[in-house]
Amino acid sequence: MRTRLPDNLRCAVTLGVDFDGPSHEVGRGIAPLGIHSWGRYSARRGIPRLIEMLQRQGVPCTFFVPGYDAQCHPETVRAIDAAGFEVAAHGYLHEAWDVEADEESRLLRQTDEILRDLLGKPVRGWRSPSGRKTANTMQVLKSLGYLYDSSDKDYDLPYRLRFGPADDDCIVELPNNTYSLDDFPFYKFSYTPPSEVLAQWQSEFDAIYASDRFVVLVVHPRSGWGSGTPARTAVFEQAIAYMKAHEGVRFFSSAEFAGWCLQHPQHLEEWRVA
Amino acid sequence: MNACTVFLSVNFDAEAYDLKSTSEDRLYGRFSYGRYGVRAGLPRLLAMLERRSIQATVFAAASDVRRHPDAIRALRDAGHEIAARGADLTSLPLLKEREHESLLEARDVLAAIAGEAPQGFRAPTGELSPRTLHLLAQLGFTYDSSFQDDDHPYVFSLEGNARIAEIPTVQALDDSLPFSARHTHARVVKIWREEFDALYREGCLVPLTVHLRGDLGFTRAARIAALEELLAYMASRPGVRFMTGAALAAQVLASGGPAEPDPIVAHRETLAVTPYRGDLAVKPI
Repeated sequence: MRTRLPDNLRCAVTLGVDFDGPSHEVGRGIAPLGIHSWGRYSARRGIPRLIEMLQRQGVPCTFFVPGYDAQCHPETVRAIDAAGFEVAAHGYLHEAWDVEADEESRLLRQTDEILRDLLGKPVRGWRSPSGRKTANTMQVLKSLGYLYDSSDKDYDLPYRLRFGPADDDCIVELPNNTYSLDDFPFYKFSYTPPSEVLAQWQSEFDAIYASDRFVVLVVHPRSGWGSGTPARTAVFEQAIAYMKAHEGVRFFSSAEFAGWCLQHPQHLEEWRVA
Repeated sequence: MNACTVFLSVNFDAEAYDLKSTSEDRLYGRFSYGRYGVRAGLPRLLAMLERRSIQATVFAAASDVRRHPDAIRALRDAGHEIAARGADLTSLPLLKEREHESLLEARDVLAAIAGEAPQGFRAPTGELSPRTLHLLAQLGFTYDSSFQDDDHPYVFSLEGNARIAEIPTVQALDDSLPFSARHTHARVVKIWREEFDALYREGCLVPLTVHLRGDLGFTRAARIAALEELLAYMASRPGVRFMTGAALAAQVLASGGPAEPDPIVAHRETLAVTPYRGDLAVKPI
């Protein structure tokens, strides 16, 4: 059985902002100074600008925050929550490398504790920094009560990802694509004008709206290759407005949509890797 | 009416840049794009800036300044600000204990040739060591322009009551990266115009970084024509003015606004126990 959204859900959109503050550089042993200061832009300018824009558009969004960035900028993370947006986890020091299972468990729990203490509520989801994960990752996320992961690149629709034999060895997967439904490939690698990035996202949306009807669009609030700066926040806003203008498009936070998936198991494919 | 300031900065980066990948006896052929910047590019840039009545800020490494004293004096005589960019273009964190000596040389060579100590500094490769801001303040620099973390100039407050202004730039308005990706100048101007329009709408600083070079720079005849058209467009927008780095620094230092703490302090402990995993920042080729 393949996942199929019911006809009364014409198209579901989840928006994500991956915080990527100074953790991105500090985690690699690089001082966040000079050209390496892009992550400082996230808390100073990018997050406030994106919050203001998302409120103007009146759409939910999930902010995926590395634990270290939450420690550096607790007031920014509280502001995200106070503005009504979901805060989810995104590694501790934005680990963009393979981490041994024990160390990984420790880091996932550490970040969960930081975010939970800061917000006084449970964290519901996780996105891998750089897209690396294992069955162990999902085991730990489940033990922490997480509903979903949004890191796999293997499908166009949400599904139940089975990572072990026990009944509960299953997590909602909201797959993303960091080559097209993301900002950094265009701003980091191809130096694409913002207006062409908008055209690309519109084209992606048109095709998805006509077929699978599920969109995961992700941006970063940092300077450099992110979308926190004025021109790039503006095209992200135009992409949102474009999607809103289509009939039946519903925006969900990732946690809300994971909840929808859990309430509608009959619509969801289950997939087991290996 | 929007108030919007454009900061036009020029990275001189002549032979000093080529010498990162070759030796003095091989500054010919593919390693002569830096010389192009001085021989062909600079006169064109000077004429264009004069036509547009724009004062630029030129960041030059001491080794380039020594090699081209007349070019530096011509820029100064035309009213442009000359600022420092290291002894050569070696990344500062690599210099270790030689960093102070290198910054001193950057300052003194410029002072001797331009007749005035530079107020501003931009790090070669954009990288700073944890000590750089302190050393710059000690050496009398009033501002740095190497960070990419804000929409407006601001001030760092350092240990020992030292203060230094920061004039942040943005990667999207640095010509060397799209030119290193072999984009056409029309495409680069398209990006810059979109970036400018949005910065102008929000009243942010517009920090433009152009290079003199014939490969990664904006001074070829066709490119500089496209740049001139864009600068004319910016100047035509109500409320736009051009300012040098020194003028921006003086303004923000005098404004008495809140100062930022030394940016390394919050991260020192974590960095001390974190192994270096490689620099994934994208730099010009």
